[in-house]
Amino acid sequence: MTTRFHARQFGTLLGLVALCGVLWALTPHFLTVANLLNIAQQTAINAVVAVGMTYVIISGGIDLSVGSIVALSGVTLGWALQDGQPLPLALGIAVLVGAGCGLINGVIVSWGGLPPFIVTLGMMSIARGAALLFTEGRPVSGFDSGFRSLATGHLGPIPAPIAVTIVVYLLAHLVLTRTTFGRYVYAIGGNEEATRLSGVSVRLHKSVVYAVSGLMSAIAAILLTARLNSAQPIAGTMYELDAIAATVIGGTSLIGGEGSLTGTLIGALIMGVLRNGLNLLGVSSFLQQIVIGAVIIAAVLVDTMLKKQRN
Amino acid sequence: MRTLTALVAAAAITFSLSCNRAAPESSGTPKIAMVVKTLNHPFFVDMRRGAQEAADRLGVRLEVQAAEREIDVEKQMQIVENMIQTGIQALIIAPSGSREIVSALVKARDAKIPVVIVDTRIDEPAATAAGVHTETFVGSDNYEGGRLAGVHVVKATAGKARVGILEGIPGHETGDSRLRGFRDAVKDAPGITIVASQPANWERDQGFNVFQNMLQAHPDIDAVFAASDLMALGAVEAIAAAGKTGKIRVVGFDALDDAKKAIAGGSMDASVAQFPAEMGRVAVESAVKVIRGEKLPPNTMVKLEMVTKDSLAGKQE
Repeated sequence: MTTRFHARQFGTLLGLVALCGVLWALTPHFLTVANLLNIAQQTAINAVVAVGMTYVIISGGIDLSVGSIVALSGVTLGWALQDGQPLPLALGIAVLVGAGCGLINGVIVSWGGLPPFIVTLGMMSIARGAALLFTEGRPVSGFDSGFRSLATGHLGPIPAPIAVTIVVYLLAHLVLTRTTFGRYVYAIGGNEEATRLSGVSVRLHKSVVYAVSGLMSAIAAILLTARLNSAQPIAGTMYELDAIAATVIGGTSLIGGEGSLTGTLIGALIMGVLRNGLNLLGVSSFLQQIVIGAVIIAAVLVDTMLKKQRN
Repeated sequence: MRTLTALVAAAAITFSLSCNRAAPESSGTPKIAMVVKTLNHPFFVDMRRGAQEAADRLGVRLEVQAAEREIDVEKQMQIVENMIQTGIQALIIAPSGSREIVSALVKARDAKIPVVIVDTRIDEPAATAAGVHTETFVGSDNYEGGRLAGVHVVKATAGKARVGILEGIPGHETGDSRLRGFRDAVKDAPGITIVASQPANWERDQGFNVFQNMLQAHPDIDAVFAASDLMALGAVEAIAAAGKTGKIRVVGFDALDDAKKAIAGGSMDASVAQFPAEMGRVAVESAVKVIRGEKLPPNTMVKLEMVTKDSLAGKQE
């Protein structure tokens, strides 16, 4: 099992490298430090949301509410900051709101026994509506430089959003691969009934998985709000689709039970590099959508063919 | 195996390049980037056409890009960041968010790229706070347009009407200014009551639904002002569905082709015409002037016009 994951990730990585090679050949503007840093910063938000999505999908579920939770966490963060709350408290509130929404998803999925698609579809609408209601539809903007340093600051040579993303990935990867909780996430996605029969509290662990997804949406909201210097109630629209795309390009199976965060990170980078490269080449935004759609299908197609070969 | 994905991506890029007739990198001609809100709205498609004609005439290279969705400020910011990398000499932008776009303009400033704002103003306090300077604003006065629409409604209804309003996305400078202009114009007419005012987010289908609900709550509405024609056209459909065509005056904004047809056919009353192609042309000319080192006035206004059945008939003669 492990070797197959490695082969799969190596394949995705090869795809990314090949893509970069093509862009490098096509435009002199691609392979510059400034541009690569741009790509990393542009990818950061989707990459963080995709961490939560990967957890959820590995556990056999889906989370359609991530984009709306980004908006709701973002506007509560913006409100707290403008209200003059200290930065740690404001960030704490945003995180609580995000993780709380996620937990509600998880509890209803686990104890209510509803399909995740339905529950998170409902939350998608509820969180969006709450964000709009809370702000009366208007963006909350203009924050002090202390908060904005989360977008403009540097940790050594590394821009802050990239540093945050790296830390998030390291921690989330460790939790997924080195803890009992992580193993249960795979087990639940692989065979929920068997996991339950072996004495694991599936309900509890599943609830936590959705809370993790909400938490990641909150972190993404913090990065996004700092980047735009504004929290918009309409922010994050369709983020769920970008996150699902990054996750499946990275080789996580929609059926659950397998996948990895390394894959997801590469998947998110492939999408970021594609968008950036197509911008640099002056490709129209309509064609960009076609290209990205084709890449998503191709990635999963290759995956399916590989699996058939092995079986 | 996995290289297949890359091959598909490469093929897709090559395909899109050939479709896009990418001009060869020539170092002599100045390159200007124009980032609009979206390219799936006739307004910005017209703007691009006007801009491209001006660019061809002046011998500059113009690259026009937009996010997939009009409201996606973050994607617009990404596009600006990416375009800055391609060695552009000027940036023309129609901001998706008046405040949010300032963060992207900071990056243009750091790269020493002059900026021309088109269609939607940036938030001045936010720009000043961030130390962002823009060369000029090219657009029409949305407040004045809203006022024209208000004056029209007062005149057409002889100062007595119950009015519903369809707003754009709340917090957008464009829509807010139009509404302010409209409200100010009808404020002094005691017979005009605004019975409802709800956002329909610039969209045609939402214009339909929101106005249908409005009509349910206030069946005696005499007139509707929509901050854009797409929403107005949605309202026209809702009115037709309720069998009230011709009984409710619909005033829109933008004078899209569909709206002009509706006005000629009598299902719509009037629309405030902006001239997006003209905006695109002036924006490119302004950018070229900036590259040549000329100074520009802070505002370059493009005319507005009230389109009615009479004005359309007058033009055909």
